[in-house]
Amino acid sequence: METVNKLPKRRSRFHSSEARVAYICLIPAFFGLVFLTYLPLLGVLGISLTNWTGLKPPEFIGIENYIKLFTTDPYIKDSIITTIYFAVLSVIGSMIYSLFIAMMLNRKIPARSFFRAVFYIPYVLPAVAIYVGWSWLYEGNFGFFNYLLSEIGLNKILFIADSSFVVPSLSLISVWLAGNLIVIFLAGLQNVPNVYHEAAEMDGANSWQRFLHITLPCMTPIIFYNLLMSLIANLQVVTPALALTNGGPGNSTRFLTYLMYDQAFVNYKLGYACATTLIIFAILAGFTLVLFKTSNRWIYNEGGEDK
Amino acid sequence: MSEVAYGRLKSKKRRTRTMNMITLVAVVFFAILALFPIWWIFRTSLMTNAEIYRYPPALIPGNWLFSNYEKTLEIFKFWKYLWNTMLIIVPSCLAGTFTATLCGYAFARLRFRGKNLIWSLCIGSMLLPAMVTLIPLYIGWTRGLGVSDSYWPLILPYFCGGGAFNIFLIRQFIMSIPRELDQAATIDGAGYFQILFSIIMPAIRPAMIVVALFIFIGLWNDLLQQMIYINSSDKYTIALGLTNFRGQLKSDWSMTMAATCLSFAPGVIFYLIGQKYFVEGITLTGLKN
Repeated sequence: METVNKLPKRRSRFHSSEARVAYICLIPAFFGLVFLTYLPLLGVLGISLTNWTGLKPPEFIGIENYIKLFTTDPYIKDSIITTIYFAVLSVIGSMIYSLFIAMMLNRKIPARSFFRAVFYIPYVLPAVAIYVGWSWLYEGNFGFFNYLLSEIGLNKILFIADSSFVVPSLSLISVWLAGNLIVIFLAGLQNVPNVYHEAAEMDGANSWQRFLHITLPCMTPIIFYNLLMSLIANLQVVTPALALTNGGPGNSTRFLTYLMYDQAFVNYKLGYACATTLIIFAILAGFTLVLFKTSNRWIYNEGGEDK
Repeated sequence: MSEVAYGRLKSKKRRTRTMNMITLVAVVFFAILALFPIWWIFRTSLMTNAEIYRYPPALIPGNWLFSNYEKTLEIFKFWKYLWNTMLIIVPSCLAGTFTATLCGYAFARLRFRGKNLIWSLCIGSMLLPAMVTLIPLYIGWTRGLGVSDSYWPLILPYFCGGGAFNIFLIRQFIMSIPRELDQAATIDGAGYFQILFSIIMPAIRPAMIVVALFIFIGLWNDLLQQMIYINSSDKYTIALGLTNFRGQLKSDWSMTMAATCLSFAPGVIFYLIGQKYFVEGITLTGLKN
């Protein structure tokens, strides 16, 4: 990529105008990187070492915020567990659901693009409206799900008003929202070379074996991409807590990002909230790292195809 | 022998056809499941509250009370909220797409000092989730610049490259366009910007549309940032308006569902118009990365 130094001298004038154009093009991104990314990142670090509340000038208190978070904070431990619980449920559910739907849509069925649109549409609806709408389906007395339960003779469940059901209930909404994953999976499936399937069929492989030994290996790069994207998105979950549950019932939906919001914008503990932010960041980075580290073990890479 | 092969082929064909039929039935079943929540919300929005609480609940409303929507619109200022939302989304989409294209072009085609460094900073910021910088940015806007109750903190970031992921996407796209096209234009005397505008941009239109869509969906689904930057109710977006409306009318489900349906509508309409690009675009991102 670095060709700057290798350029012959006689092209230097050409090169300088090229560079000028490049710098002009990069002015916006440069501003973004400096003022919206890296300075704020330093800011988080810096503020997390203070006791800033926004009222008095901040005082440097070292790593006290972190010590407090790990020792006396009443929420953070449950919050981490809740967030990971939600993310894992949502990711597993939406990966299975979207791969399954995509495989069905990959067969030669009529009105395929219509069905694709049907499964995709939840993804384009505004998140808040989805949560508000589903809160009615989950309603404790007259909600649709409770009607179903009473039809099959079970007791009513409060769903999002019950601390042990609220996270799975919200995860189900996440699964329903996974339309974009379906579209990406479908595109990947259409890229699986047909010759492999034909060859395997010649050798007498049944459809399950073909799925296991052809489709899945060919799909691993796309599975990885979808897994990473949906994991990062779900670990940052906050909208249902803001729009619907306010972290409750009890603390059962006090997701990490909601906890940070609560510390910073409800209780104005800015320094403390910044420390929480960095813990969330560390968790996200940890998950990403583990995914990347283990990826070469299970991602099938067709020779020469990689970028 | 050939008859055996023919028979096998025929039975295989028949088997495929049965499998496709079974799949179709399953797809229809799941499609109904996927659409059902939306239907349930819509059907509730057309009912009286008495009808909602009836047991067993009706799948289709007895008479379709569109007057619920009139009642809802008196409190839920949908058009105002929609306008406000568009005030954020439209400039963000335009500016984000444009600046991402500029940056992507520079990274894909131009040679300049410090390219590797800036590129790695860019890629590095992709690994940085948005919520990490939330608090310092909030402090910067409200304390540093004295901006509050304004859309600028939501819009302006998109004037700065539209996010590293989008720049990355555009760069990958430009790199897949043969360089010969640029070189031919250079010989014809076209400058770098001319190449960008008359050759690159038309060629990467699908990618630009995807970027615009990503920005659209991001803002469309955002609640946290709108919540911390917008205070006054006449500046509410759809997301804020609906959250607030639900808080006010906790038990009036038919009106709450009417407001929900109204909030669904722009997304659905937008999707139906741009369906082709949506699908094409999302597909491309999956395959490009």
